[in-house]
Amino acid sequence: MTASATPAPKKVVEILQPEAMPKEESQFTIIRRRFFRHRLATFSLGLLLVIFIAAVFARQLASYGPTEIELSNRFALPGSVSAESGRTNWLGTDHLGRDYFSRILYAARISLTVAFSVVILSTVIGSLFGAISGYYGGLVDDLLMRFVEFMLTIPELPLLLIISSILLQSPQAIPIPKALIDLVAALLYLGPREALQVIMVTLVLTAFGWLGVSRLMRGMVLSIKNMEYVEAARALGVSDFGIIMRHLIPNAFAPIIVQASLALAGFVITESVLSFLAFGIQDPTPTWGNMLAFTQSYMFEHPWLPLIPGLPIFICAMAFNFVGDGLRDALDPRLKH
Amino acid sequence: MTNYLIRRSFQMLMVLFFSALVTYTLLALAPGGPWEEILGRQGSETMRIDAEDIARIRAQYELDLDQTWRFTRWLFGWPNGPIRIGEQELLADFQVGCFLPLETTNALGETVIIGCQKPVTLKDLEGRRVSRGVIFGDFGLSWGILRDRPVMDVLWSRIPRTLQLMFTVTVLSLMIGIPLGLVSAIRQYSLFDYTVTTLSFLGSSMPTFFFGIILILIFAITFKQWGWFYLPPGDAVGSRDYVVPMLGKVEAKSLLDQVLRMIMPVSVLVFFSVAGWSRFIRSSMLEVLRQDYVRTARAKGLRENVVILKHAFRNALIPFVTIVVFAIPGMFSGAIVTETIFNWPGMGRLFIDALSRNDYPVSMSIFLIGAALTVIATLIGDILYTIVDPRIRLS
Repeated sequence: MTASATPAPKKVVEILQPEAMPKEESQFTIIRRRFFRHRLATFSLGLLLVIFIAAVFARQLASYGPTEIELSNRFALPGSVSAESGRTNWLGTDHLGRDYFSRILYAARISLTVAFSVVILSTVIGSLFGAISGYYGGLVDDLLMRFVEFMLTIPELPLLLIISSILLQSPQAIPIPKALIDLVAALLYLGPREALQVIMVTLVLTAFGWLGVSRLMRGMVLSIKNMEYVEAARALGVSDFGIIMRHLIPNAFAPIIVQASLALAGFVITESVLSFLAFGIQDPTPTWGNMLAFTQSYMFEHPWLPLIPGLPIFICAMAFNFVGDGLRDALDPRLKH
Repeated sequence: MTNYLIRRSFQMLMVLFFSALVTYTLLALAPGGPWEEILGRQGSETMRIDAEDIARIRAQYELDLDQTWRFTRWLFGWPNGPIRIGEQELLADFQVGCFLPLETTNALGETVIIGCQKPVTLKDLEGRRVSRGVIFGDFGLSWGILRDRPVMDVLWSRIPRTLQLMFTVTVLSLMIGIPLGLVSAIRQYSLFDYTVTTLSFLGSSMPTFFFGIILILIFAITFKQWGWFYLPPGDAVGSRDYVVPMLGKVEAKSLLDQVLRMIMPVSVLVFFSVAGWSRFIRSSMLEVLRQDYVRTARAKGLRENVVILKHAFRNALIPFVTIVVFAIPGMFSGAIVTETIFNWPGMGRLFIDALSRNDYPVSMSIFLIGAALTVIATLIGDILYTIVDPRIRLS
């Protein structure tokens, strides 16, 4: 290969790309344009951004602490001003005089952290296991898929409830590194005991969350692994690990991403169901689920109460679903129903 | 086919065995238990209890046996004494557990078990109360809900209410869901279709408990405050008579009372099942409408009604069979969240009650029966599938 053998590259470019040709768009631009065409998804994304920002700046936005009690100021109406401290209760207060607005913000921090951690963990674990299972086939595949099938046959919610009720009462059953507890405690402004609860709930949800992802990934890998470019990579001597990481997982990622954003909605709901039924994160740590559970006892005298923690759950679940829908349209138009 | 059935049944048994093992392991890990309550109560009274008493209480709940034997006794009620061959007793002195462990305090001040003062042998097991075994339908005794009564009694007291609820829900949602899915598939992209798909999207992403609470808020609380026709917010039967405007006096425990109380939980569950089922029927119907035989039927000049109902719809229902079969385990275990919100005395709420009162035998049995029914339903669904669709061969 001498320099004289290659033609001048500039000329070729000029011939292939005359002025009249449309400007080349990157894959990302196309996807972004398709996503923003979905109006509800765009709106949902904006809404979620607002909620995220509010959750990130919870401490700055909230005028009360998450567990601060003002017993003289119970069941204050939304927008009223506390006589004791002169602070405004934008969404009113609960049965212990705790400010709903502040608690909702802190709860957003916790609920969203749990949902995102579960989705990230289960996507990573599920993709890896699914890809290995699909790529190698044989005994590994058999064992892994039998296990996944077995787990998927078992009714999920009851088992989730049983496990978390046991773990709640004997938290030492799973050893958790102290550093992780401290990190979560600092991130969510919680004590170590409450942080441990959050980690437990995350782990329990992840234990079930990765199953579906691994099945999806396995299916994608099975259809991709015999394609020419994978064969070409193998012929070039790329290792199995390299093929899985560089070729299989990235190319199977579109449905995984869509599934992940839909799963976010699912885990926001599942986490709040667990807390609602008192088998998740416990009061006084605020989560939307356990706040809703308490409002149920007082809703006959104060009917607006359930709406305050209930609406954020509903809005988040809907928004994640719409974003997932938009992503599906954007990433893979063939999937459109 | 026979081969397939044998293999599947074997798989089914394996799954059930593993579910039982998982259930049992969780049960063994479960904190608390009836003995703790007894210990707490007796410790505070004038009664003083010594190590022997504690051991007796532990023995009452089989805690003195080794895990392996506890598991086999729990699963199929064996061993229940020495092995007998004719007149001879074999292995009568075989140790299966420890009645009184030898405890000591180590350097860290923790109590550790270093040996056994008084072992339990197979001979000791004779005459002890033993369940016939989970696989024979004996789930042992309840720890809390109805203490020392058989778990099955507790379950039977709740099963009728759950069946009443879930049967109504299944029938109604089939009656609503199938036509909705059918029509929205035929008129794809019409206003009707958009409404149905939007509603079913809402149904699949809305949390049940929020929807249930909203219903109570509107129909039980707000309507009552406004003096309109309102619905009772919970329970399956009332304990007192009440007056509903436009309907007059409703006697407690009357049929009307029960119907009124069913409306809200049924609507919540129907809304969610209809969302799923109409979506399923719609996509299955759209799939079938694209098939060649539907075009052939149209080309033959058959009326559109005949094409849709006789040629397309029947075939669209085939995959639906498997889904409907799955409703059976759901009917048994009920709807945990919905029953809790509406205080419906069924299996779902029993499950939650049992869990929160540490009555693990009850909650585990519900879980195990639910798992067993799910596995069986999967098998039945697969078999039915081959019967209604001869194109599919099981192998």
